[in-house]
Amino acid sequence: MARDTLQAPPVVSRPAHPSGWPKLRARGPLTGWAFAAPALIVYVAFLVYPALNSAYLSFTNWNGLSPTKAFVGFQNYIALVHDSVVHTAVRNNLFWALVTIVVPLVLGLALALAVNTHLYLRSFIRTVLYMPAVLPLVGVGVIWGWLFQPDGVVNALLHDIGLGSLQHAWLGDSTTAIWAIMVPAIWVRTGFPMLLYLAALQGIPAEYYEAARVDGAGRWQRFRHITFPSLRTTHYILIALSLIETARVFDLVYAMTSGGPGNSTQVLGTWMYFNVFQGYRFGYGTAIAVVIAFISILVGIPYVRSQARDLR
Amino acid sequence: MTTYTRRQARRRRRALAGTAVMLVFAFFWVSPVLILITTAVKSAADFASSGAISLPSSLTFANFQSAWSVGQFGTAFRNSGLVVLVKVPLGILLAALLSYALAQLKIHFRSSLTFFMLLGLTVPIFIAAVPVFTLLRQAGLIDNIWGLLPPYVAFGLPFEVLILTAFFRRIPHELIEAARIDGAGELRIFFGIVLPLSLPVLITVAILDAVATWNELTMALVLLSSPEHRTVPLSLLNFQGQFTTNFPALSAGILIALLPILIWYGLSQRWIVSGLLAGAIKG
Repeated sequence: MARDTLQAPPVVSRPAHPSGWPKLRARGPLTGWAFAAPALIVYVAFLVYPALNSAYLSFTNWNGLSPTKAFVGFQNYIALVHDSVVHTAVRNNLFWALVTIVVPLVLGLALALAVNTHLYLRSFIRTVLYMPAVLPLVGVGVIWGWLFQPDGVVNALLHDIGLGSLQHAWLGDSTTAIWAIMVPAIWVRTGFPMLLYLAALQGIPAEYYEAARVDGAGRWQRFRHITFPSLRTTHYILIALSLIETARVFDLVYAMTSGGPGNSTQVLGTWMYFNVFQGYRFGYGTAIAVVIAFISILVGIPYVRSQARDLR
Repeated sequence: MTTYTRRQARRRRRALAGTAVMLVFAFFWVSPVLILITTAVKSAADFASSGAISLPSSLTFANFQSAWSVGQFGTAFRNSGLVVLVKVPLGILLAALLSYALAQLKIHFRSSLTFFMLLGLTVPIFIAAVPVFTLLRQAGLIDNIWGLLPPYVAFGLPFEVLILTAFFRRIPHELIEAARIDGAGELRIFFGIVLPLSLPVLITVAILDAVATWNELTMALVLLSSPEHRTVPLSLLNFQGQFTTNFPALSAGILIALLPILIWYGLSQRWIVSGLLAGAIKG
């Protein structure tokens, strides 16, 4: 990788910032802050401040238009607990997280193992398999929304292979719709674990396998005792990133069902959007946003801490 | 000698078989896009009689013409392109300045500041939707593509800082010290030494950032409303609503909308892969 070409000489590995020369004393921490300031200002003004402002708004009954808003305490949060659509959304979010983390990880690992064998056209195959991940999620949603239509490709395929009895209005039926949306989510989310696992697999020293083979270890034993343990950091990173990612599910659901039929596919993200920008319940909507952000930050903190530690 | 070549031949046979299996899998994996292509070049009559899962009996490009004019993709490409062209360099410049301070300069609260910036990785853009909307409404920047810039830059910073700080830390401190002794100012060191040295990583971050910016939906949906200001995801959503039954035209429209990102991916996939790995595992 490109950044590996720059290696500090081993002896002087990052000395503490020297302060010997008189000329340097003038370059105090102020220079650092001057470099940091532009980004910090934008970051605080358009990420930190909005987040805190949302937290504040979630304790009001603001409708987004009127100049006044009343402080209502925890009323929005109490309403949230009693909102049956929120129950559906929480359930959908949980199933979503479970399925679209576990399946892409398992599938991604399987593909990485397959691609990591002796193959021709390896980088072409890898490129093709990763392709769905770069498409705009709206595009993916529109494609699969079309495939899942009653007279769409999925049903036609079922008919052609003699399973016509399974034909179904996949997105029109509240019992199948959310599961149907998970299919393109898996399609999109498998590429990244595949790439990461592939890189990790290539980092396992071949001698380990040689030694295991000499000791008579079979294929499964080598996987079980060498490959899988070596991927521990990768599993951890992938699960952490996936948790952050799945908490914010929005695009696919919005593009494929808009939360319908009958709110059966609402997730927290879409339900927040509909409350705010169609129901003008800004206070209530931001309360939902706060819940999503809270969960996302909470599950992300261990990952962020480990990353920040590495940068120290 | 014979055993050696026999083993080689067996190896090659196995590689060929494995390649064949993976190619078939890859074919099915991207079949949604392939079906899109075959459907888009079918006439409506052909599609009605043969359905989606067949090759077209003759090629037509009429679907692309009608999709192009109805979908107003030209406007959407221009809008998304402008946002990407301004957002990406601006965001990376700001992130690089901050990352340089974190990696090489004296600064108070270095580790808290790093944590504070990286925490942004976990903050979903929803949480900013309402306050940014009201803020921009006051500033008269609602329904204006430039209103997307501030939140896009802010939400892009954590990832950029993560990768750039990791890279800048590897620049030997002596190099910067030497330039200082020679009398170079901090800005000159940054623009003259640090940025040129980091060109590969800057390009990688820019490519990833461009993809994410081009594909973003939530903020655009909240902030933009009129047709002439739509970005690509918004125009696709709108287009979907207009062609719910005309599948060939719908397919053509989706293909048009996806074409720039597919070309971009084809050209830059090596950078994308190395960037993703750097972001996740960095050292």
